[in-house]
Amino acid sequence: MDDFINRTDAQRRVLLTVNRVPGFAEELCGLSRKAIERWLSVNRIDSRAELATILFQISSKLFFLSNKSQEQVTEEYRTLSLEVESLTLRLRERVSGSFLDAQSRK
Amino acid sequence: MHIYAFGSLCRGEVDFGSDVDLLSIIEGPDSRFDPDVFAKYSYDRIRSLWKEGNPFAWHLATEARLIFASDARNFLLDLGRPAPYGRCAEDCQKFFRVYEVAFEALTSGKCSLVFELATVFLAVRNFATCFSLGMTKQPNFSRHSAKEIGERSLNISDGAYRLLERSRILAIRATGPMIQAQELQACLEDVCAIRSWMQKLLTEVKPDG
Repeated sequence: MDDFINRTDAQRRVLLTVNRVPGFAEELCGLSRKAIERWLSVNRIDSRAELATILFQISSKLFFLSNKSQEQVTEEYRTLSLEVESLTLRLRERVSGSFLDAQSRK
Repeated sequence: MHIYAFGSLCRGEVDFGSDVDLLSIIEGPDSRFDPDVFAKYSYDRIRSLWKEGNPFAWHLATEARLIFASDARNFLLDLGRPAPYGRCAEDCQKFFRVYEVAFEALTSGKCSLVFELATVFLAVRNFATCFSLGMTKQPNFSRHSAKEIGERSLNISDGAYRLLERSRILAIRATGPMIQAQELQACLEDVCAIRSWMQKLLTEVKPDG
């Protein structure tokens, strides 16, 4: 599949993972550094928290891949894509944990 | 090492909060260039983009302005014109698909609203840019290319267009007020109309398709 579509789908999955959690003051609008920083600030999340670190890591890898757009799938590209997938899984676990914590506090 | 400016600044399309697009062309990994500030490319990668007639090569060839050259030469200028752009039909079809997936997500009711609207804006812009590059004599790399391709321009309400643009700015620059679901409802018909605009242009790109 096309790299551009892959990256868009990867971003969509990450954003849905975060935005399905109720209770945030604002949704996460994108995976640019500035969008993540705004989301952390508005929702009063420490930028050193694991959730934030994972988001910044995904952002950095996706933007690196975007500079390689339309390139043949290289070993480096494949490795980075797998890293994004693995980080998204970690994010899902982390977010699920936060969600369950929030539910149990109710 | 070569450093160029490109994008809205070079077209004189400046507004408050405009990003400055910078390109660094370097031999190998170079940690001095912040990836949040610079698009980093190797010389080989730029040469290969030129050779394949990639839209980004045409974008740079059309508007990039040299800021610094370690060898006192203008590397991009020395490359000459990129190869003819031969992927117009495939690229337009791709951005049509990107639009369709985003629109489907928007109407599913369970999506990241701003991201999907921003994706629609990006699909529309890239579609129009590829169309202008492949099908007209005036390639348009503007953020507003969809509104600047003459009689084939996208014709939707200003309110809907601004909503899409605001979403893109929120997703990338993170500035501006948050988008509300009611705003989408007010513009849904216009966002839906983008499909027929794309389909009409696709018949020109692929007359047999």
